[in-house]
Amino acid sequence: MNHKTLEIQNLSVVFNTDRGRICALRDLSLHIDQGEILAVVGESGCGKSVLCKTIMGLLPPVAEITGGSIAIGGHETVHLTDRQFADLRGVDLSMVFQDPMTSLDPTYTIGAQIVESIRVHNRNISSNEAKAKAIALMDTVGIERAKERFDSYPWMLSGGMRQRCVLAMALSQEPALLIADEPTTALDVTVQSEILDLLLKLRDEKNMSILFITHDLGVVARVADRVAIMYAGKIVEEGLASEIYKNPVHPYTWGLLHALPAFAEKGMLFPIPGSPPNVPEGFAADAFAVRNEHALRIDYEQAPPFFEITPTHKAATWLADPRAPKIQFGKDRPDTPPDPVQTPFCEDGAASAPKADILPTILQVRHLSHTFKLGRRSSVEAVKDVSFDIHKGEVFALVGESGSGKSTLARCILGLHKPQQGQIHYDARFIPDQRRIGFVSQDPGAALDPKMTVRDLIAEPMEILRLYRSKRDIETRIAALMDEVGLDQDLWNRYPAELSGGQKQRVTIARAYSMEPNLIVADEPLASLDVSIQAQIVELFDAMRRQHDTAILFIAHDLSMVEFLSDRVGVMYHGQLVETASAKELFANPQHPYTKALLSAVPVPDPDVERGRRK
Amino acid sequence: MKKLILIIVSVLLLSLITFFMARLAPGDPLVSYYGDRVERMSMDERQHAIERLGLDGPILEQYVDWLKAALHGDFGISFKYKQDVLTVISGRLLNTLLLGGIGFILTFAFALLLAVVCAYKENTLLDRAICKVGTITSCIPEFWLSLVLILLFGVTWHLLPSSGAYALGMSHSVASRITHLILPLSVVVLSHLWYYAYMLRNKLLDETRQEYVLLARAKGLTRRQVMWKHCVRNLLPTMIAIMAISINHILGGTYIIEMVFSYPGIGTLSFESAKYHDYNMLMVLVIITGIIVIVGNILGQTISERIDYRMRAPESDGDLFADEKEVSRNA
Amino acid sequence: MRNTTNLRNEARRFDIVGAGKRYAADAIPKTASTASKSRFAKGRFSKGRAGKGFPVFSAAVLLVILLGCIFYGAFVSSDPSRMALDQINVAPCSSHWFGTDTLGRDIWSLIWFGGRKSLFIGALATLISTLIAVVYGTLSGLANKTIDSLMMRFTEILLSIPSILLIVFMQAVIGQRNVVGISIIIGITGWMSIAKMVRTEVRKIRESDYVLISRMMGGSFSHVLRKHLAPNFFSTIMFMIVMNIRSAIVSESTLSFLGIGLPVDIITWGSMLSLSEKALLTGSWWIILIPGVFLVITLLCITSLGEYLRGGGGRIHGNL
Repeated sequence: MNHKTLEIQNLSVVFNTDRGRICALRDLSLHIDQGEILAVVGESGCGKSVLCKTIMGLLPPVAEITGGSIAIGGHETVHLTDRQFADLRGVDLSMVFQDPMTSLDPTYTIGAQIVESIRVHNRNISSNEAKAKAIALMDTVGIERAKERFDSYPWMLSGGMRQRCVLAMALSQEPALLIADEPTTALDVTVQSEILDLLLKLRDEKNMSILFITHDLGVVARVADRVAIMYAGKIVEEGLASEIYKNPVHPYTWGLLHALPAFAEKGMLFPIPGSPPNVPEGFAADAFAVRNEHALRIDYEQAPPFFEITPTHKAATWLADPRAPKIQFGKDRPDTPPDPVQTPFCEDGAASAPKADILPTILQVRHLSHTFKLGRRSSVEAVKDVSFDIHKGEVFALVGESGSGKSTLARCILGLHKPQQGQIHYDARFIPDQRRIGFVSQDPGAALDPKMTVRDLIAEPMEILRLYRSKRDIETRIAALMDEVGLDQDLWNRYPAELSGGQKQRVTIARAYSMEPNLIVADEPLASLDVSIQAQIVELFDAMRRQHDTAILFIAHDLSMVEFLSDRVGVMYHGQLVETASAKELFANPQHPYTKALLSAVPVPDPDVERGRRK
Repeated sequence: MKKLILIIVSVLLLSLITFFMARLAPGDPLVSYYGDRVERMSMDERQHAIERLGLDGPILEQYVDWLKAALHGDFGISFKYKQDVLTVISGRLLNTLLLGGIGFILTFAFALLLAVVCAYKENTLLDRAICKVGTITSCIPEFWLSLVLILLFGVTWHLLPSSGAYALGMSHSVASRITHLILPLSVVVLSHLWYYAYMLRNKLLDETRQEYVLLARAKGLTRRQVMWKHCVRNLLPTMIAIMAISINHILGGTYIIEMVFSYPGIGTLSFESAKYHDYNMLMVLVIITGIIVIVGNILGQTISERIDYRMRAPESDGDLFADEKEVSRNA
Repeated sequence: MRNTTNLRNEARRFDIVGAGKRYAADAIPKTASTASKSRFAKGRFSKGRAGKGFPVFSAAVLLVILLGCIFYGAFVSSDPSRMALDQINVAPCSSHWFGTDTLGRDIWSLIWFGGRKSLFIGALATLISTLIAVVYGTLSGLANKTIDSLMMRFTEILLSIPSILLIVFMQAVIGQRNVVGISIIIGITGWMSIAKMVRTEVRKIRESDYVLISRMMGGSFSHVLRKHLAPNFFSTIMFMIVMNIRSAIVSESTLSFLGIGLPVDIITWGSMLSLSEKALLTGSWWIILIPGVFLVITLLCITSLGEYLRGGGGRIHGNL
């Protein structure tokens, strides 16, 4: 008998919460063949992690499998006790987690942890043998100087190294199935691409099946043979990677793809509005209907079955029903395209695109250096001799990996660090005295006082700077700002804890603009957000930039969004600004070797391109 | 070495604070030396006594004099016992350390056990029942719990002795000492147990939320193995830190319990000194207690940091500092 | 006829109606994530937060005890301090519900009369501690590193002495054996741990992103203090404050029991228990048990209120 490595049929999982029973997985079926990589894609909160835990038999006690079956290598596992399942884990299937910083036990050396995974299922092995095997495993996953690193504690290693260690543990018993839950999300782009190559190599060598969970369609394009799109606990579309990318049938799939800058048309992103819901038990309609521009009446009444598009491609949407009207996605979008107000740097603005140097400079950074003291002797130069200008109304992006000095530079500009060497001139005035710079930070949760309402939060800069005389003026302005950034007026008296991540970021943006600054510093404003929300926020930045004549210093590590939004780009590497060019130029023709490496490491959401890149 | 200096400075400061409080207090300082006799003294005698005791100089000078004498082992004379303070204390210190020390170790041994049981059975009936009962026990003041136990085991059932450290004339009998320890020890443990067990339980629950637990289970470890091999091990540094800061609470509790059981330790001594206004004695007792706690604290913290530092990177703060974190890590 | 309408209806089902008016999360009946978020919103005092609900039972019991103590005159007829020498050590009976003590006083009336002072001492001492703690903690939290570490070293030295010993020491040195005097002594010896917490909170908040941003915009010191620091640390230390009431009550009763605090003629639950040594000799269990049970029940109610204020609910489920 030739069994599929994993076969899930009609699986349903319900969580018992204080507020009723929530369906985490609904009637979910999928399968993986031997040596195949299946990617499951969806926004956060759509049930991907629950799927992993269910397959691993690691559901928390509040969760309950209400139906369906899971077969691993032909063996049914749903009814196994925890004890029985423990013998399966690590042997038949194993798992790699999202954040290698937290998934390793900090109190053991990595060697001890790898040895542990060997000895759990093999008690008779001697400690020397186990150690030798562990070192061999470390070699396999590409850890150099494995013998020395055997005795390192996790914190001594970089994120990429740690993820390799986790992988080594997962491979210790040569499982037939590897579940990888966002294994590269927490890593830098260049490291991400190495880990993906490693996974592909391992698949080829050991003929392993991989269930790859991610929200990044670029990553999917690189590794996946087949793709399953997941929404609200259900698979909504499934097919070969090329089919999904070339011919998305489900509006959700289309939305996910077109939230990416690579699919932007005419300078517009198509973010999916809203965020994924929690579905209560017994919910009958299509959960996506409320976010679907093309929802049919039947979507609100009845959940769609799977429609077969090709033998390998199926989608659960009524739009694929022969009776449904034929729809071309993105054409009849209700929003009218943004006003053709020409921003000074609008690339394809055929009309008079003024040259950068004609516009007044609002920020001038000259030979800025900043050094951190670490203890008595050692110190680190986080920023080294950086010079650049930002002109009125332009978006200047700073790109670089973590640790490259981007945030330090931003803090110098914001006046949070006193510049040690060099000058920063803002509006021809000296920085520390100048407070009118808007700031949007990476973590909107931390940037908003949990004890203040949305109204108070947006009003704060206006009150501090005494921009308006009366309370009423302030409130009119808040209402206008909330409108501009797309916040509902009934959020007026909400506290940050009641808002979603995207809404919080909108509040910080409204706050930044409320003081009518000439410059906004946005430090990784997208880092903590989901892809579709990222697209919403990027689009918001774009719209705000069109409305106001405010320059933006946009700090990011996500190059694709940078390409979409910015006029000019600066690349930081080890504290130095190694390359500055207009966005178009930089992406078309990178000069510095680091820029080239950075660009080539970015996964492109196109399976054909990515496949060519595989090593 | 650095820690040693810290201990010495802390103890000096402690003695300074105590000295000042005792001297600046309203009331006649002579009382602490002569007690009621002061009232019968003539003016001349008074003056003489003040000069002899060095009470006429500025207070800082007095402190220096006191400190000098103290370094030679002379802490003055207890008014009540008409004896050198140190002699009186040294006879009793061991009793207190015995009761407090065993109580301390037992408390944390049981606390860890309870914490593990609760965390392992989180949110089950057992966990909830332990939590309920625990909360109730933690609300019972030490002295009242002692009273109730004496009432039950001593007065009503005549099972266990309820006062002293040993039966009359049997100071060398180990059995007698043990039977006399049972009741006070139970109170020490019972009255502190849940406070720390609950703390450890919550810390342990935080540990079970860590992702390394998932990884360990994904490897094929059973729940029990994960709990003992990973969660408890991760809890240890925290537990030692908690133990370090808990010394003063448990010692304070021990003092009260000693008093109720008339156990001849420095706790009983200190309350009696307070009752009879034996300031000299009380001051030294406060300082000695402080020394025990400070040394214990610093010892515990050092051990905890040692264990922790080896395993974890020094943590830095604030998310805005992402860059700097990375930089310092690479360095 | 019917068939055609059915067909028409069937066809209409495939009309495009578009997205729901409000997107997703709102349109589907409110459940977990959205609902749970709103519970935190109204701050720490809103009803029915995650984890523990408001401890109605404890609050009710505490209220009964509190009211009973305040209005004891309404239902206690006999003078609590009257010593009936012919009626000492009477076991609970119909004329003395809770019996009488070794001085011949009626325990039922003593309980209500004494509870008043016990609770008052708890409240006053806590008020004093909190005031000192907030001022000291805020100063330390806002001061520069050297002053801050000096101030914290000082509290740590005070903390190294068990609080009961410190109280006994202070009481022996300056003590006055009356209600206000003892509250002051308990108050000025019990502020250290709250102060430490205030200081930690102030430091944390002061270095938080939102304060940095506020200062960057030019927010003055008083603006930051008013708008950010105070609202944020008060909610955190509420729990400590409530627990401080509890430990103040325990301190007073322990002190009075040991004969160092209030004398027998100032009636509190503690001073009532100071008679227990004599009671042990005669085996009069009610003199020990009854005031103690009242004390423990009060402490228990205060604790559950404190636990509620601390929150700590809303833990995600474990991985184990």
